[in-house]
Amino acid sequence: MTARRRPRTLASRYARTAYLFLTPAILFFAAFFYLPIGNVVATSLRTGPQADQWSGLANFGQALADPAVRHSFLVTVGFSVLVVAGSIVLGLALAMVIDQPLRGRVAFRVLLLVPYLTSVAIVGLLWRNILDPELGVLNRVLAATGLPQQQWLNTAPLLTIAAVTLWQSVGYTMVLFLAGLQGIPETYHEAAKIDGADGWRRFWRITLPLLAPTTLFVSVMAVISGLQAFGQAYIITNGGPGDATDLSVFHIFNVAFRTRDFGYSSAQSVLLLMVIVAFTLIQLRAGRRAEVVY
Amino acid sequence: MRKALLYTLLVVASLVTVLPLLYMVSLSLQTEAETLSAEAVLVPDSPQWGNYAELFARAPFGNFIVNSLVVAGVITLAHLVFDPLVGYVFAKFRFPLRNTLFVALLATLMVPFFVRMIPLYVLMANLGWLNTYQGLITPFLMDAFGIFLMRQFIQPIPDDLISAARIDGASELRIYRRVILPQTRPALAVLGLFTFVFQWNEFLWPLVATSTPEMRTIPVGLTLFNQEYFTLWHLTAAGSVILFVPTAVLFVLTQRYFVRGIALTGLK
Repeated sequence: MTARRRPRTLASRYARTAYLFLTPAILFFAAFFYLPIGNVVATSLRTGPQADQWSGLANFGQALADPAVRHSFLVTVGFSVLVVAGSIVLGLALAMVIDQPLRGRVAFRVLLLVPYLTSVAIVGLLWRNILDPELGVLNRVLAATGLPQQQWLNTAPLLTIAAVTLWQSVGYTMVLFLAGLQGIPETYHEAAKIDGADGWRRFWRITLPLLAPTTLFVSVMAVISGLQAFGQAYIITNGGPGDATDLSVFHIFNVAFRTRDFGYSSAQSVLLLMVIVAFTLIQLRAGRRAEVVY
Repeated sequence: MRKALLYTLLVVASLVTVLPLLYMVSLSLQTEAETLSAEAVLVPDSPQWGNYAELFARAPFGNFIVNSLVVAGVITLAHLVFDPLVGYVFAKFRFPLRNTLFVALLATLMVPFFVRMIPLYVLMANLGWLNTYQGLITPFLMDAFGIFLMRQFIQPIPDDLISAARIDGASELRIYRRVILPQTRPALAVLGLFTFVFQWNEFLWPLVATSTPEMRTIPVGLTLFNQEYFTLWHLTAAGSVILFVPTAVLFVLTQRYFVRGIALTGLK
């Protein structure tokens, strides 16, 4: 009798320990993730200055028809596409260079990674200064050398803030690609060399396909962070000129904390979350198909 | 020839990443006149170290620094305490609802911060925690990524070690602290570094959750200072240098951990 009962009590004792250790985490994730998620959905279905009058899906209908919301979504998608493309092209190119047996590559890796450590506050303030039409160092240098001055933040604002974002993040994507490159067995390249494939061909036929999981991961990360970008708009452009860089989270921030419409801004958050989750799931599914087995 | 081309590429790319930061340091040591002169000053004639003192006189910069240290420090400590503990439970214990809880945990990875921003603001307002340390700290005490990282790291530790300790009569907490934790040091170093740097740099939540200058962290205090004193770029740059130096020093001391940590985030 006791012999049969013992394993069960032991198992339940371990289960008790497990739950004891988990209690703080369960409370934390309930209070600071699941409760807020429930609340944002509940608030998105309400209206009024206190967001306490039930309005059903009215906020969602309004958001989908609101030209400002649509515009800011398109701006955000454009921004994300630029950041993803730049991350893949520049990150991979730098990784391939730094993967060569060169002296000082560790030092170069450090130098390229340094901007990744800066706060968005530094990125934003520093580049707003550098790019300023009158006070900016870039235009003052251009003027001194007799070259025409540029107003990037007016002529190509979205491209400019995407470039600034890449300045900060490219070292990170480079390190990810570097890890991917170093995971490709050398024998594949050697075999292709013996078969007479030139460097370009080897890149397209071996490196790129075998890097697919890394490329996918980089693009998922870049899309997710691109769709959530905030500081660039808040600090560098204030969403402008006009509404040219009115990134979605900046737009939501303004509706929530300047217009103080929590119902409407919550609905917009939920919509953007749905886009991000859908995108992540699609990319992960595509990734499972592209899985490589060495 | 090919080598020369590769080196040129690397040098140009490194200049693009590093020069703006060096210019930030230069700017922080210029006089106001130099920051506004028609001809750009790249190296100031006589470095104005007094700019740093002036920054502290104009803004409660001492408060910003203390606030940033407290907020990033407490959050990092909390991660170091809770993430490995929870990771250990998911790696080594069998218990009812284990998989359900684990999926519920991983699902939070898909929830970006902006989704929590508005309800957390309302929650903090109801608790009276806006503009307080607990308001700045509590939303970030743990995260699924850190727990997942620690679980992956703890899983390969042999179960026999744990069973042996149990037979010796060690308590569960003692097993965790004496058998498991010492083996996770490299992962804890990565976790601590990343958590500290990210929280030190965090912008959106301290912007939303603080209302008086005295409670701001450095990134937020600096940005709002700049909005107020728009053309005082030498002081803004001085503040940026203060914000950047701790992370730069940490990075130089531990860059191997950093690079390994980033590569680790790319693993599935």
